[in-house]
Amino acid sequence: MVYDIIMPALPFIGGYLFTYGLYRIDLIKKALHINIWNLIIGLTFLISAGAGFVLLLLMEFGVALPISPQLLYGHVELGISLVLVTVFHFHTYWKSSKTMFVQVKKRSKT
Amino acid sequence: MKNKITSALSKELIISAIENIPMKQKLITAVSTIPFIAATTMSGSCATSCPYGMVNDPYPGQCPRYTDITGDGICDLSQATAAAATDTSSTSTDDTTTTTTDSGNGHGANADTTIQDQSADPNAATIPDSTVLDSGNLHLDTTNYYVLPVTIMLIGGYLFTHYLFNKGILKRNKHRRIWNLLVTAGYLGTGVTGILLTIMINLGIRTALNPSITYWHAEMAILMVIGTMIHIHLYWKPFKNMFRVLFGIKSNLKKKTKVKGHPSDVL
Repeated sequence: MVYDIIMPALPFIGGYLFTYGLYRIDLIKKALHINIWNLIIGLTFLISAGAGFVLLLLMEFGVALPISPQLLYGHVELGISLVLVTVFHFHTYWKSSKTMFVQVKKRSKT
Repeated sequence: MKNKITSALSKELIISAIENIPMKQKLITAVSTIPFIAATTMSGSCATSCPYGMVNDPYPGQCPRYTDITGDGICDLSQATAAAATDTSSTSTDDTTTTTTDSGNGHGANADTTIQDQSADPNAATIPDSTVLDSGNLHLDTTNYYVLPVTIMLIGGYLFTHYLFNKGILKRNKHRRIWNLLVTAGYLGTGVTGILLTIMINLGIRTALNPSITYWHAEMAILMVIGTMIHIHLYWKPFKNMFRVLFGIKSNLKKKTKVKGHPSDVL
């Protein structure tokens, strides 16, 4: 079994470029574009991390369910998508992300 | 003596004895037997089988635990039960057993040595199979990921910084910055190790680092999950707003109102 890396990433790249394009040409609000991708990152995280957590618990208890292989496959494929959506999240909140690493210069009162 | 035992074990006496036990004690006894039942039923099933329940997983395998000592190009853990079944049937009829050892990357095609063991004694064939199964990578299954201690530590840390922030010792920005940095580290660690593992599995690369990468992937994932929950708590208002914007009655079509300032402040 070989995992697909490009295929699960393509719809997310296309989707982000599409909503970003709509926002840039003033067809949708920035808030909508941001919230769509916040919801997507939340759902991707929930499914990928949830599957990972269930797999971890199953492994700790030594239980192998018939759906475990599919769960592992889904966990990996959605995990790849999650990495990509996280990059988009950083892009969306780029200004505040920068302040996380670099101190903001305060304006001197003159 | 026999009469004494039968009278002591009579149905009525047992029922009355059970009825005399308080409900709480019954519950405690029932709950305390669960680990023993679980231990006896699980020990056999997870000793030599795939932890993900895969059957005949071909090279390069679907997880970093792929082990192919037999060199047939199929993960030994995924075929443990099937192999055991065929072995028992073959020992009774066939006098010849074949043991294949793969000391390379575990790829069946790169099998290094093939030992043909011709023996006149049919019982001798049962001995080498057990040694092959024992030498597998089974120690990985016992890896402890410290899920609970790490979780407690992170939640404790958050409660501490939240307390400092409430008391005014820690500024709001610094409080958020600390946890944003930690959640970024969690995502970065999980993402990098996850991608690394996927590439290694896809290319069939097996190194001594594989178990430690898997270990750190799980540890970073704990930080990521707890960090995300803390992140949602820190940005609770924008999080609630997300549902209002996406599923609310308000029209989302662009009007001539510009959103000023940082998105996290507005959303």
